[in-house]
Amino acid sequence: MCFSPHEAGFVEALVDLMCPADELTPGGVECGLAIFIDRQLAGAFGRGERLYLQGPWRPGRPEDGYQLPMAPAQYFKHGLAAAERACAQLHGRDFAGLDMAAADLFLQAVAGGKVTSGEVQLDVWFNETVYPLFTQACFSDPVYGGNRGKVFWKMIGYPGLPAVNGLNMTKYRGKPFPGAAAPLSMEDFS
Amino acid sequence: MKRLPHRSVVVVGAGVAGGLISRQLALRQIDTVVLERGGDHQGGAEGRLPTQRDELRWDIRTGLMQDATKETYTFRRSRNEAARPMRRLTAFLPGTGVGGSGSHWNGQVWRWADYNLALRSRLAQRYGAAAIPVDMPLQDWGVTYDELEPYHDLFEKLFGISGRAGNLRGVIQPGGNPFEAPRENPYPQAPLETTEAGMIFEETVTRKFGYKPFPSPAANSSGVYVNPDGMRLGACQYCGHCDRFVCEANAKGTPDLLLFPWLARQPRFELRKHSQVLAVDHDSVAGRARGVRYLDLTTGEEYFQPADAVVLAGFTMTNTRLLLAGGIGRAYDPATGTGVVGRNFCYQANSGLAVFMPGRWINPFLSAGCTGTIIDEFNDDNFDHTGLGFLGGGYIGVNVGSGRPINTRRLPPGTPRWGSAWKRANADWYAHTFAVGVQGSCYPHRENYLDLDPDYTDAFGQPLLRMNFDFRENEQKLSAYCTAQAERIASAMGATLVGPAAPRSAPFDARLYQGSHITGGTPMGADPATSVVSPRLQHWDAENLFVAGASVFAQNSGHNPTGPVAALALRLGDDLVRYLEKPGRLS
Repeated sequence: MCFSPHEAGFVEALVDLMCPADELTPGGVECGLAIFIDRQLAGAFGRGERLYLQGPWRPGRPEDGYQLPMAPAQYFKHGLAAAERACAQLHGRDFAGLDMAAADLFLQAVAGGKVTSGEVQLDVWFNETVYPLFTQACFSDPVYGGNRGKVFWKMIGYPGLPAVNGLNMTKYRGKPFPGAAAPLSMEDFS
Repeated sequence: MKRLPHRSVVVVGAGVAGGLISRQLALRQIDTVVLERGGDHQGGAEGRLPTQRDELRWDIRTGLMQDATKETYTFRRSRNEAARPMRRLTAFLPGTGVGGSGSHWNGQVWRWADYNLALRSRLAQRYGAAAIPVDMPLQDWGVTYDELEPYHDLFEKLFGISGRAGNLRGVIQPGGNPFEAPRENPYPQAPLETTEAGMIFEETVTRKFGYKPFPSPAANSSGVYVNPDGMRLGACQYCGHCDRFVCEANAKGTPDLLLFPWLARQPRFELRKHSQVLAVDHDSVAGRARGVRYLDLTTGEEYFQPADAVVLAGFTMTNTRLLLAGGIGRAYDPATGTGVVGRNFCYQANSGLAVFMPGRWINPFLSAGCTGTIIDEFNDDNFDHTGLGFLGGGYIGVNVGSGRPINTRRLPPGTPRWGSAWKRANADWYAHTFAVGVQGSCYPHRENYLDLDPDYTDAFGQPLLRMNFDFRENEQKLSAYCTAQAERIASAMGATLVGPAAPRSAPFDARLYQGSHITGGTPMGADPATSVVSPRLQHWDAENLFVAGASVFAQNSGHNPTGPVAALALRLGDDLVRYLEKPGRLS
């Protein structure tokens, strides 16, 4: 695990905002979304696996892709601190201390490039690094800690594994697929 | 560096091309060694249930692909820019390991329209030479479709291709692709099942537009199949984990399943895995390749492998890089348009738009890599370009190949990006949407080329290859045109919502996956001034050096490249037999 208590608080507030408890799923923390993000950043992905980290370093435009001399975990934390500074400046408190409506507006402003914080491009940080981790947390196999209880798979009707559909392909073509109500994850096979 | 005993043929890369060339050599018991940088995917976590079905590991984190920390590419959109490395490889996905990119592919196997092999002649004849822009160095390949037909036929049999013939010995077949080049035999297997989305597409284009839809030709095996070498394919299970995955059901035609296990039983064949080729050793005075230098990744020891013939059969980029790094052939210079190595680099102008049909159960997870329904009316030169202001085109179709939930969720424009409304939209639309896609051609441009990067190196200390590329005016216009056709079709399906149409445009976006069908860099041709290899794939400056793979394409089409890659590789295998019997320039 790689988050400080404060960073964990930010991420927990974030996932509970992005995935509020409602008739479809429990809240984001309860779905394991914060745990998923923490584990991904603490693990190979966060340390920069498969990421070319040799110089020279040339900042670029978003279409150039990731161009920073930082592994994703460092970058995530760096952006998080910058977002907190911007939040404190605008609202006088931490992101986790905002009410839902204010937090939502703040996040929309971050995602839309309307919040600046020194040298950190917060929109790029959120859209290219934070948001993908959020959707991965929701829809990955629960073996990684998110999507607890396969709630997101049940929500959309993804049947998961083992998906051997040789006969189902024609039997359920154009019809509701019964397996979608009870998806199976890798955990169910180990 | 240890010098190894001399071999007849050394092949760089154990992918589709390297495997097929080796098969033709092994049939004649010719001494062959293949050097492959990666290991074997068969039987690992990537090839077994349940771990095979892991979208995060194999798809999102690209667990089977070339590791960018070992080797990546730099790119820039024009010569006055400083290049940047692709720090994550996402725009295209070179494989690594036995089978190469042919291990994790979806499996579309096309015979391109026959005129593609002489496209300059075709377009000049149809529209006049002046219709070809001066900055579009189109050139003929120096080989005809008739020469390749038997090899297309053989490849389809070896890989058990499923499909419906469109043109059998010149007679157009109902339900097939009427623009297909004539084939001697039908596909060895019946087509895959059609998806619900494919049926919607089929009905719309047939009834409302009179187009001729057909099932995508597929290396996903529609039945149980035994190939001419006695190698077996199981029947596809429509699991939706094909592209970017290893097929655990042995139902996808791949070199690691059909070629290398057979080759391993042949007496004079050797595969050396974990062997990273560093250079082709070249005697420029004699005009010969002496052999290749490689690193054994399991020991860290460097070896020199001498051979009578050297075959480069790496990924498109690898072949070009080895030639440039070795100084073999003159590097292309865009300022003057002279030189050859690195020229005619092409991508593809792919695009698409989403269709939302709440009343229809699309069930995207009931699919295979190639469960597609396609029309070819707007591909390449299948339609009249007079007055359109561009050349080329693309196929239009519905490829439902996966319901993997991280990446395969389409939401109506304007949906919030998080919160209850976002979740509701996912729940409402996941099973009820699909995309109409365009696979758009890309013809060469004088400023689209490959060279060596002056600043960045790989894990072995060698310069990275630099991709100089952007979508130029021709590709932007053809993508706008073809995407508009796709939108017209999508809008006639009775959908609640369609779009937004997103034609491919500049600037090139290194973040987005745009297909791995990159071609060129070592184009073939009859003129040494504009080609790296002859029509027999023999290097013009080194007669015992041969190049195979999509790097020899003179231009890219609106079709997947593997069909022509395979046919050219099988033909090269036979040509190598002739060469070894009587070395010299092949005609």
